[in-house]
Amino acid sequence: MPSYMPGPGVDVSDPALGTTIMAVEFDGGVVLGADSRTSSGSYVANRVSDKITYVSDKIYVCRSGSAADTQAVADMMRMYLGMHSLEIGKDPEVPTAANILNQVCYENKNYLMAGMICAGWDERNGGVVYSIPLGGGLFRESYTIGGSGSGYIYGYCDANFRKGMSKHEAQEFVKNAISLAIWRDGSSGGVIRTVTITKDGVEREMVLGDKLPHLAKGWCP
Amino acid sequence: MSITEYNGGCVIGMAGKNCVAIACDKRYGAQYQTLATDKTKVYKMHDQLFIGLAGLATDQQTFYERLKFRLAMYSLREERLIKPASFGKMVSTLLYEKRFGPYFIEPVIAGLDKENKPYLFSSDFIGAPLLPDMDTNGFVVAGTCTEQLMGMCESMWRKDLEPEELFETVSQCLLAGQDRDCLSGWGAVVHIICPDRVITRTLRGRMD
Amino acid sequence: MEASLEIPKGGFSFDLCKRNAWLESQANYGSSSIIKKAKKTGTTIAGIIFKDGVVLGADTRATSGPIVADKNCEKIHYLAPNIFCCGAGTSADCENVTEMMASNLTLHRLNTGRECRVITAVTMLSQYLFRYQGYISAALVVGGVDSTGPSLYTIHPHGSVDQLPFVTMGSGSLAAMAVFEAGYQEGLERQPGIDLVRAAIQSGIDNDLGSGSNVDITVITPEGVQRFRNLDKAEPKYKSKNPLFYPKGTTKYYDEIISKVAIIEGDAMEQ
Repeated sequence: MPSYMPGPGVDVSDPALGTTIMAVEFDGGVVLGADSRTSSGSYVANRVSDKITYVSDKIYVCRSGSAADTQAVADMMRMYLGMHSLEIGKDPEVPTAANILNQVCYENKNYLMAGMICAGWDERNGGVVYSIPLGGGLFRESYTIGGSGSGYIYGYCDANFRKGMSKHEAQEFVKNAISLAIWRDGSSGGVIRTVTITKDGVEREMVLGDKLPHLAKGWCP
Repeated sequence: MSITEYNGGCVIGMAGKNCVAIACDKRYGAQYQTLATDKTKVYKMHDQLFIGLAGLATDQQTFYERLKFRLAMYSLREERLIKPASFGKMVSTLLYEKRFGPYFIEPVIAGLDKENKPYLFSSDFIGAPLLPDMDTNGFVVAGTCTEQLMGMCESMWRKDLEPEELFETVSQCLLAGQDRDCLSGWGAVVHIICPDRVITRTLRGRMD
Repeated sequence: MEASLEIPKGGFSFDLCKRNAWLESQANYGSSSIIKKAKKTGTTIAGIIFKDGVVLGADTRATSGPIVADKNCEKIHYLAPNIFCCGAGTSADCENVTEMMASNLTLHRLNTGRECRVITAVTMLSQYLFRYQGYISAALVVGGVDSTGPSLYTIHPHGSVDQLPFVTMGSGSLAAMAVFEAGYQEGLERQPGIDLVRAAIQSGIDNDLGSGSNVDITVITPEGVQRFRNLDKAEPKYKSKNPLFYPKGTTKYYDEIISKVAIIEGDAMEQ
């Protein structure tokens, strides 16, 4: 945009996903988790938003950063993956999806505010988690956390993550971690949403705000 | 000071019963220095359709030339006079085209449609249309003394004014309004558009 | 010079940007005062999903700076026979973006031979707004009924979309949302639905200075659309008991030209 561009311009703050998002590999799949708060300044614009977005049948992304940017990126990704899977005649693989996401994020890094997690299951790789942080970059992790709330739970996650958890253990780990972040982070809140992807399919779950696990015991009544 | 106030001036449009008025002041200045006292801002587009342009004088001229051109093209293509409502849309789109580098003008349109119903239109400088409710607020204002004019119209306007009543009302509203504005004044010109004639009167006003 | 005489091809023109930037750089007139004059709809707009459809509501105040520019403007815009859209933000942007979308959706209907879906309108709108990175400041509430049932979305100026059973937007959105949070239930009947939106808009009108005047409501159901213009009217604040008027001859004029209007056979402005 040329610098001499004046005129009535941006005066509404861009709704942002001040967020806690995470994804965890387990034996036979992945669990993605997120809170549900979308804020515009200090106003909660949406308290039940869905930050875990479908991009192909067994691949989902967690979005953090600008709501508009990440939605647009996810939309692009869905289009690319759709065309790609038509070309190869089968479901896309997770590394392919993560690569596409990384390319979109990296090539437009000056215009985007998008921190994403891409996770899913495919025939060749099983359950896989990738992190694509703010300026682009592609990192395979056995678990990853992101968003403004993640800073509060690095310690918890490092202490409690184990390789080769069961599906149930992974789900509980995700819910516990996100509920802790919601406690501390002002821009995370609402409900916890999780998406579990295995070879058998996709399960969605939601934990209501008044049913969050009570881990911060020293804190709350 | 806003750039729209650089040259000063104001325009007012008012609806009556089967007639409509449009009027403007005559001042042309550079900030507080008066340069001319015969700068009218209302232009005739066709017999029953007038437009007044308040705001930056250079943009008034450019915009008026562009409008004349567009209107000529319209008349050639359609082989008829433009309806006031269509003209309003034309002005609005012409302004919105320059949304990110606008003309600093505020237009007021007054005309009679084919049923002799008054049509009034005004917009901000990026073409957001304002079409007043003819039953409750049959007036539009633009320029450097909109607050004053709006106040005058709000209390003096009533429904179904006859042409001569309309003349008195619009004239007094304009004169009273512009006398409270340093950047407008030096007389005024009023057009009363009736089905069979247009009365154009030049008013005496304070010359200070 | 030639460029300015061309018939516009559509799209924005940036011809005056450099000149305007120069004008603004001149010391005396700051850019802020130029910007303020653009007409805004400091607004309360809202919508809910009820049992068989969608209710949209809006106030009717348009402001330019602190001045009420229009006391009774329309903020619920037509997009398609089954889709309507409330607009908040810069009035010119809302007006133009909805009008453009209405014509694009008409073409879409003619091309596909099907009724438009709400998500189609929402996707087209959000992609357009995203392209302009928030510079087109239109905050929209889009509601409608299609083959998938009733649906309701909000679109922010930057192009982000939210889908919710009850939504509010504009400067009065907080006041209106408070009413929704207190009174919304799933599977609301028609009349309670309308009344809830009315109360929400009224709350915006009363508690937000940027919103005011009357309540407009549009109800969209599979059976059709009902539009209530000024469902609740603010009573006129002042009416003179003895209206003044100027007697003939009050205004002195020194020149008069009466031009007769040429009467053209038939209607000159006829189609």
